[in-house]
Amino acid sequence: MLARALALVIAASATFAQAQPPEALAWLRKVHDATQGLSYKGTFVYQQDGRTETSRITRYAGPGGGTEKLEVMDGVPREIVRTREGVRCYFPDSQVVKVDRRTPERDFPGLLPERVTALARYYELSLGGRHRVAGFECQEIVLKPKDDLRYGQRLYADTRTGMLLKAVTVDAAGRPIEQFTFTELTLGGVTKDMVKPRHSAASWRIEDAAAAPAQLPGWSLSRELPGFRKVVELKRRLGEARPVGQMVYSDGLAAVSVFIEPLEGRPSVRTGLASMGAIHIYTREVADHMVTVVGEAPALSVQRIADAVEYRRPQQ
Amino acid sequence: MNERISALMDGELGDREAGHAIADLETTAEARETWRTYHLISDAMRDARVLSPGFADRVAQRLAQEPTVLAPRRLKPESAPRIALPAAAAASVAGVALVGWLAFAPRQDAVVAQAPAKPPAAAAQVATVPLPSGTPDYLFAHQGFSPRVSLQGMAPYARTVSSQANEGRR
Repeated sequence: MLARALALVIAASATFAQAQPPEALAWLRKVHDATQGLSYKGTFVYQQDGRTETSRITRYAGPGGGTEKLEVMDGVPREIVRTREGVRCYFPDSQVVKVDRRTPERDFPGLLPERVTALARYYELSLGGRHRVAGFECQEIVLKPKDDLRYGQRLYADTRTGMLLKAVTVDAAGRPIEQFTFTELTLGGVTKDMVKPRHSAASWRIEDAAAAPAQLPGWSLSRELPGFRKVVELKRRLGEARPVGQMVYSDGLAAVSVFIEPLEGRPSVRTGLASMGAIHIYTREVADHMVTVVGEAPALSVQRIADAVEYRRPQQ
Repeated sequence: MNERISALMDGELGDREAGHAIADLETTAEARETWRTYHLISDAMRDARVLSPGFADRVAQRLAQEPTVLAPRRLKPESAPRIALPAAAAASVAGVALVGWLAFAPRQDAVVAQAPAKPPAAAAQVATVPLPSGTPDYLFAHQGFSPRVSLQGMAPYARTVSSQANEGRR
């Protein structure tokens, strides 16, 4: 019976992928392509837990990939620029620039179009109604999780170009957890100069993550979370110099990072859960290391991944 | 036809279309096979471990234990009155309910099998702590790996900023 069931699954899995509403999948691809292909300039607000913060975003779509600049208008001044070389984050107040380089062997794993179909395993995709956002006629795309291990999404994309105007993360009961909403957006008319960093940062302190793929010998999850597969394992530096290991798990839409760093005389770890919008952070101590799990997933998922982190001394 | 059955499974059909789909299930063996297959795949897709060595045994066990108990219960309150169909159709609804339940049985079983040693309520007992002091660094390191960046561009990086601002105020 087992063999028969397997054969059945293999034979019919292609049919199943098509069983999801093809329009919703097509819309997700359209949003994906718009995000990679358009030049735009606009202002959006990020809302969570009664707080609202405004940022300005500019994207220049050029040959060989785009350049994107995010300027934060509230709180500590900050500017983040992403190019195909990587991400640089500028803090003018403290004169620090944080650098996260992209290397050929370590690409930023995006949501590739072929993986959009895989999303249908863990989310029910459907189309909602038409809404106007920041003057754009938008199509609502709904991603409803099939279990309580991930959040849902309600996406609002410009019907003409697919540009995402609003994204709402919702919990299992459909209540909004956080949302990003453009209040003003102009498509096109962006020049390369407009995405250059405002600061030369020549004399600033550079904090280079120096991230590189690496095995973390002995570290693993005793039990993986349904749908979340390990997408990358690397070593990097956090902040000024702390070396840490990072393992990233993803279900195709949400990602959860496991950071592992030696305690090295630091006071003992305060075990517990912290939250910020859709982000949960769970910290615990494992084998003289501090394990910090960070992800845009429900507290239950983040905690279950954290509880599963284990160290087994590698066999010599 | 397959699309209609898929839509029926997802609860996306109106009463009338649902009636047609149910009629399909009543009259054609192929439709019933599709219904079963979709459910089996949907279960399997949730977690590859559904097809663990104990899978077949557990399904058999469940089938042996419960079929007569649950099938009638699903019939009355839900299916029959909502889709007001003639008696013959109602009978087919009964058939569908049974088939549906059979198809769902492995899923319930699988969920039990997947459940952590710890009950889900454990999340509620967990100590709540303030955001760790290195939160902006963790978020910056994490953000680049979030698939959402390819749908939303850099917007999620604004989150990092919130906590940075938060920290500045403290």
